[in-house]
Amino acid sequence: MIAALLGIFGLSLLLAICVGRTHPRIWLGLNSITALSGLYAALLVLITTQPWLWHGGFLLGGETPFLRLDGISALFLVLVCLVGGLGALYAHEYWSEHHYPRSAPNGRCWWSALTLSMGLVLTCANGLHFLFAWEAFALCAYFLITLDHDNKEARKAGWLYLAASHAGTMALFAFFSALAARTGTWELGPVHAQAGLAPLFWLVLFGFGVKAGMFPLHIWLPSAHANAPSHVSAIMSAVAIKMGVYGIVRFSGWLPMPDNAGWVLLGFGCASALLGIAFALAQNDIKRLLAYCSVENVGIILIGLGLSVLAVQHGQPVWGKAALAGTFLHVLNHGLFKSLLFFGAGSVLHATGTRDMSRLGGLWKVMPWTAGLFAVGALAVSGLPPLNGFVGEWAIYQGLLRAVAQKGPAVGVLPAVIVLAGAGALALAAFAKAVGIVFLGAPRSKPAANAVECGGLMGTPMFLLVTIMIAIGLLPGLFFRPIMGVVAIWAPQWAMADPLLATRTLGGTHTLLLCALLAGGFLMLRKIRNNGTRPGLTWDCGYVAPTAHMQYSSGSFAGIARGWFFWLLRPEMAIQRVRGIFPGKARVLERIPETVLEKIIGPGVQAISFAANGAKRMQHGRLHLYILYVFLGVTALGLMVLMGGI
Amino acid sequence: MPLFIDIALRLLCWLLLAPLLPGVINKVKAWVAGRQGPPVLQLYYDLARLWRKGVVMSSLASPGFIIAPAVAWTAVVTAALLLPLAGAGTAFSFDGDVLLLVYLLALARFCTAWGAMETGSAFEGMGAAREVSFAVLAEIGIITAILTLVVQSGSIALSSMFEPLSGPGAALLAVGLFIILLAENCRVPFDDPNTHLELTMIHEVMVLDHSGPPLAMILHGAAVKLMLFSVFLAQAVLPLSELPLLASVSVLALSVLLVTVAVGLVESLTARLAFKRVPLLLTIGFLFCLFPLLLTWMGDL
Repeated sequence: MIAALLGIFGLSLLLAICVGRTHPRIWLGLNSITALSGLYAALLVLITTQPWLWHGGFLLGGETPFLRLDGISALFLVLVCLVGGLGALYAHEYWSEHHYPRSAPNGRCWWSALTLSMGLVLTCANGLHFLFAWEAFALCAYFLITLDHDNKEARKAGWLYLAASHAGTMALFAFFSALAARTGTWELGPVHAQAGLAPLFWLVLFGFGVKAGMFPLHIWLPSAHANAPSHVSAIMSAVAIKMGVYGIVRFSGWLPMPDNAGWVLLGFGCASALLGIAFALAQNDIKRLLAYCSVENVGIILIGLGLSVLAVQHGQPVWGKAALAGTFLHVLNHGLFKSLLFFGAGSVLHATGTRDMSRLGGLWKVMPWTAGLFAVGALAVSGLPPLNGFVGEWAIYQGLLRAVAQKGPAVGVLPAVIVLAGAGALALAAFAKAVGIVFLGAPRSKPAANAVECGGLMGTPMFLLVTIMIAIGLLPGLFFRPIMGVVAIWAPQWAMADPLLATRTLGGTHTLLLCALLAGGFLMLRKIRNNGTRPGLTWDCGYVAPTAHMQYSSGSFAGIARGWFFWLLRPEMAIQRVRGIFPGKARVLERIPETVLEKIIGPGVQAISFAANGAKRMQHGRLHLYILYVFLGVTALGLMVLMGGI
Repeated sequence: MPLFIDIALRLLCWLLLAPLLPGVINKVKAWVAGRQGPPVLQLYYDLARLWRKGVVMSSLASPGFIIAPAVAWTAVVTAALLLPLAGAGTAFSFDGDVLLLVYLLALARFCTAWGAMETGSAFEGMGAAREVSFAVLAEIGIITAILTLVVQSGSIALSSMFEPLSGPGAALLAVGLFIILLAENCRVPFDDPNTHLELTMIHEVMVLDHSGPPLAMILHGAAVKLMLFSVFLAQAVLPLSELPLLASVSVLALSVLLVTVAVGLVESLTARLAFKRVPLLLTIGFLFCLFPLLLTWMGDL
């Protein structure tokens, strides 16, 4: 059954790649079939908790293919299928033949290829083939990011992504070959018995951490997510970076862990969560804001995972199970609300042609559906009840709080809880800003005033995502049950432990809360209608002619928090002041640089290329000097042998 | 007692008693200043009057401008219902409900900021920005206080979290929570609830454009939030659960009154803080919560 479904998944994607260039409708149909069959297969595995295994009877690159779909990969496959399918629907209108006659056909092919390669990454259980799939996935993503290759920014972002991605892949090459050399087989599976393999985890953390967007390794992420077409940003942020998370989760379950791995994961998680959201809050570009918010959410995921690793080391299933279940749910949740938010941002970009928040505003009037759906996404990403974001964070918090309640050796958990709370509050600030500046108030530019609502094909995916998000919020038990099966695969020794998550009570409370909120809003609207309303000007201390430019802007909204993180953000200002009797135009331009890239890695690379340029002078084409080099080299070697006896 | 009657009684108690607190504060301020002041029940009259009035809507505002105060009010009241009331305990409780409480208050904050951004006013944008930024510091303070209670009681459910701390720890926690109470409820020295138009305002400036029933919801919600923080503070510090039911509830009521009087006294005797000092004082509040946490953590080592 599962084999057949996955066969349909693969074949229809291959077919979609072939016909995608010329037949957009058939491509859309094939993608829907793919998504449904893949979802069905993944759900079957999740519900029955029976892994699906398949050994090929032939050699591919000297190894027999070995595919495996177990709970962990099925969970990530759900995301691939969901966002892959809904994104295809969205792209059909958003990146249509009509608007982009040159890149739309390519975009369709690469989209299907990306979905297929991510499916392969999740199912390949042979290290060699995994690397092939991983490389294909990285390349497909590159071509999707640079789809609009007339755009210089997109090309630059693509190169940066490709370079960063390959730096990670290099670590993965080292990891998989070392693993194969030490275990004697390329096939992947649990290797707890060989304690000597533990240091390999650092390679895993670096290699997959680059893709996941873990804090200091996130450098490629903001520009790639911001400059890619929005449906691509959605799948990159919701699914592609989750492949990195998948790798870390997968191998932290299979490898023997170094002693301090849990603390390191927790530390990187805290750094990503706090600093990621600080960057997000300071951004003026709506898509960059969402991109940095992905860094924060990966941080939350890593905090949960780090605590689970600690729980394994301390033999504490009670904390570990709650935290790990929360981590897995948060992986799913972030995929849902982040793709929703990127779709929403894409609709805004589509309608107004700008991502700059200081040129937007008042869009609720012209795009009420997008505004409403985006607002739900913003509530969810801020972790507010009764939506899905809260449920995942609630479970992770419970793991942390239980660890605190038992005291024990885990004093380092205290700062993690405080950081998580701070990041949550900053996320709320960032999204209050995003929603408030983009959708509320008065339009700050002409395009924003004349925008039109997106069409049905762009609205439907967002609507479906919101439905699933509300379902997770109201019925957390239904979703936690299969996730417990996934947890049992990661840590089989916890299978019997009770995670002590009061999902039923939470679900009931959420349902009542949602009813109360809806009733409250409705009754208030009715009360207002009965009492009567009078339209009036916004009260600005008696000022009679307010203009849209007097509104609080995105930069000023973030001002206070940006001041706290000044040491990190280092905003660059270009100010043209009002001067003279007949002043010209005044303007303030603010840019938040990607500090790690521009202040640390950039100068480092420059220093290396400067040194390399210096070394170039030794290569001048004068033969007699070359002979001198050889002579000096041989003499030095001879001396070393004589003196040291090497 | 069946669950829904229990909840209904608590709801009545919260909704009816909460508007008393701002009245008490104003009376205390009047006494200190040697004035007679408005009656203690003034807020009740105001609410009744506002409830009957029509609404002036900014031409820029969406229906969200009306819905947001209602949602914020519901969130605050639900959060209040989760809190135990001394010996009466909680109506229902589950592991991790304390997080629901914190995030419900965050939901209310999001809605207030939303309502402020609706009007496109520079003042209200400023207020929203300040509210959500300072709330970061307040929230880490609250979570630190909660961590202290978790370490002390070994429980993560509100029904069994409030165990008495030892002397100095309790005193420090009380000061820390009191500072956060002042900040979160927009009292002096963080904010001045008496004026609306000063540029140094935080919360008050966000509700400039509200009128009629939505304003009533905002005022009532603020009163409930003040009572929520006072009840939380009293129970975090006093060993109320050891007393018999009636005694514990009356001690709780008395201590809430005491907190309110203290707020009134602070308001009469101190000036509002320079705006740039606000984060500093909030950080001090956080530190006052952090020390008891470390004390309880080191306690049995």
